[in-house]
Amino acid sequence: MKQIAIYGKGGIGKSSISSNLSVNLASEGLEVLLIGCDPKSDSTINLFGGKRINTVLDLYKKGVTDPDLMVFEGYNGVKGVEVGGPAAGVGCAGRGILVALKTLNKDYYIDRGFDVVIYDVPGDVVCGGFAGPARDGYADEVYIITSGEYFSIYAANNIAKGLFNLNVKLGGIVGNMRDITKEERKIKVYAEEIKSQLINVVERNPKIYESEIEGKTVLEKYPNDLLNIKFKEIGKKILSNKKSKVPTPITDERIRSILGGFH
Amino acid sequence: MNILTPRPNPIVAALYTLRDLDVDVAILHGPSGCGFRAARLLEEDGMVVVTTSMTEEDLIFGASDKLIEVLTEANALFSPKTIGVVGSCVSMIIGENVKKALIDSGLNNKAFFVEIHGCMGANTRGAIETLKAAMDFGLIGEKEFKRQENMLLLATEVESNKGMAKSKYIKPSRGTDLKIVADYITNLLKENKKIAVVLNAKKETVYLFADILLAINLASKKLGGSVINVGNLSTEVGLLRIKRYAEDIINNLNSNNVAINFISGGMDEYPIAGKNAIDYLKDKDFDLMVAVGIPQALPLIDKESIAVTNGPREVPPLEEAGYKYVTVEIASHSTVMGTREIVFSELGEAIRNSAGIQ
Repeated sequence: MKQIAIYGKGGIGKSSISSNLSVNLASEGLEVLLIGCDPKSDSTINLFGGKRINTVLDLYKKGVTDPDLMVFEGYNGVKGVEVGGPAAGVGCAGRGILVALKTLNKDYYIDRGFDVVIYDVPGDVVCGGFAGPARDGYADEVYIITSGEYFSIYAANNIAKGLFNLNVKLGGIVGNMRDITKEERKIKVYAEEIKSQLINVVERNPKIYESEIEGKTVLEKYPNDLLNIKFKEIGKKILSNKKSKVPTPITDERIRSILGGFH
Repeated sequence: MNILTPRPNPIVAALYTLRDLDVDVAILHGPSGCGFRAARLLEEDGMVVVTTSMTEEDLIFGASDKLIEVLTEANALFSPKTIGVVGSCVSMIIGENVKKALIDSGLNNKAFFVEIHGCMGANTRGAIETLKAAMDFGLIGEKEFKRQENMLLLATEVESNKGMAKSKYIKPSRGTDLKIVADYITNLLKENKKIAVVLNAKKETVYLFADILLAINLASKKLGGSVINVGNLSTEVGLLRIKRYAEDIINNLNSNNVAINFISGGMDEYPIAGKNAIDYLKDKDFDLMVAVGIPQALPLIDKESIAVTNGPREVPPLEEAGYKYVTVEIASHSTVMGTREIVFSELGEAIRNSAGIQ
């Protein structure tokens, strides 16, 4: 079983890539579990035709602690879980993630025979709770989603700092392109600067957004589209990745210098 | 039911359980004031308790470095064989990675972590989590863990059904005046009546509650009457420290020529030992039962009975249960820490005074 956690700047496309990756890995015959860790509980929405599933923390609040009642089967047999959490502006979402992960019980994944577990984690590693999925016993390695834009790389570097502090391995970076100049090259150079690697890039493509509007992954709406081959390639590279290592974050000045060097 | 009455908390229960396990140093990863009253008492009992003294800044920036520092300092200062790190509300809410801090400190071969905070339910949860962590660390076996877990769950049940967690709010009460209770007991002895004393004490509180059993026996020797002694004083059950408590009490009683007629269980078996005691007494002839320690764990009997508790909030439910008198030993924990001898109890003193024993 391989467990990975997906991190990246808010709105960069973590959930899009996680759900598309999940369904394409499933179509290769793998048992996939996608765990959405965002209190907005929208990571798995494209597996369920735009519908929300019951969240772990809502069920926990009602006294339900059986993981079987928290896992739902979505498109292409991918199993989906949403951690859930407090409404915006109240409570502590980070604590929610820790409690939900404990309730789900990591031994459960092994018992159920999953091949791949993907944690889709919101935003940066803003507090201890958000680092939960990256800790011992959960994700084997982390993947960062970024575009070539400064703020996205800046956020990626901040996550790399968190991984460095926690001594957690980074599997690599996946580019989610925003159509800026020499974007792939920028991301690749940054990845190498922090002693990591660029796994692959997903080009900007309206079919992703068209699918999402219908609450679907690209595989469901456009089964024959080449994008699916791209997601399968990303999945294969992640599963066979032997180059994971703790990243060495760089300074803001160095980021500016790298990105500026391409203009 | 949302119970309004403040009750013992899991963090303090975790600290007490570390003491039971003969851990040398407990580090409370939290604010300096968290659990401080319990910490003082536990230090009197031989376990060093220190704190990471988390501050507002630590809540914002995390306090793993501080924990590593305290671990290193405690190791240098006290040369402990075993260290227990206990969580608190704040450190657990901010998601402190304590296991990593233990590894980074280089002390993970002698230190283990109890993942607990104050919002995790009954205090017994703190004890269970500590025992589980101790099992994972290799201090106790799985069989002993399961036995103690079962006892703690039964203890929670006793409090919910018959104790201070029975209703929404229970007003603390001192119950009946000690002198009235003492005189009642001594008058029965003067009338040559028979008293059954059931000592059903929880761990170290036995050093206090055993004094009541002792005082009734001494009063009987002077005034008349007779006594049946029942106690959860098994020297075969529980952790080494707990068995030692039972040995101490039996030795103390022997030196006063007082014998226990029936051992109802171990010192940590108070949730079931009460039933064993009543099963033993059901065919016996006696005029009054005096239940001391955790009387709420005893099944009700159709005989005149007196209950002696150390919880002022246990008084109303015990009175409702039908005890003729319920009275309180208020200073139980503060007087027994660090002792190896039976200490004077308030009721024991009142009985001695009433019987004219110097």
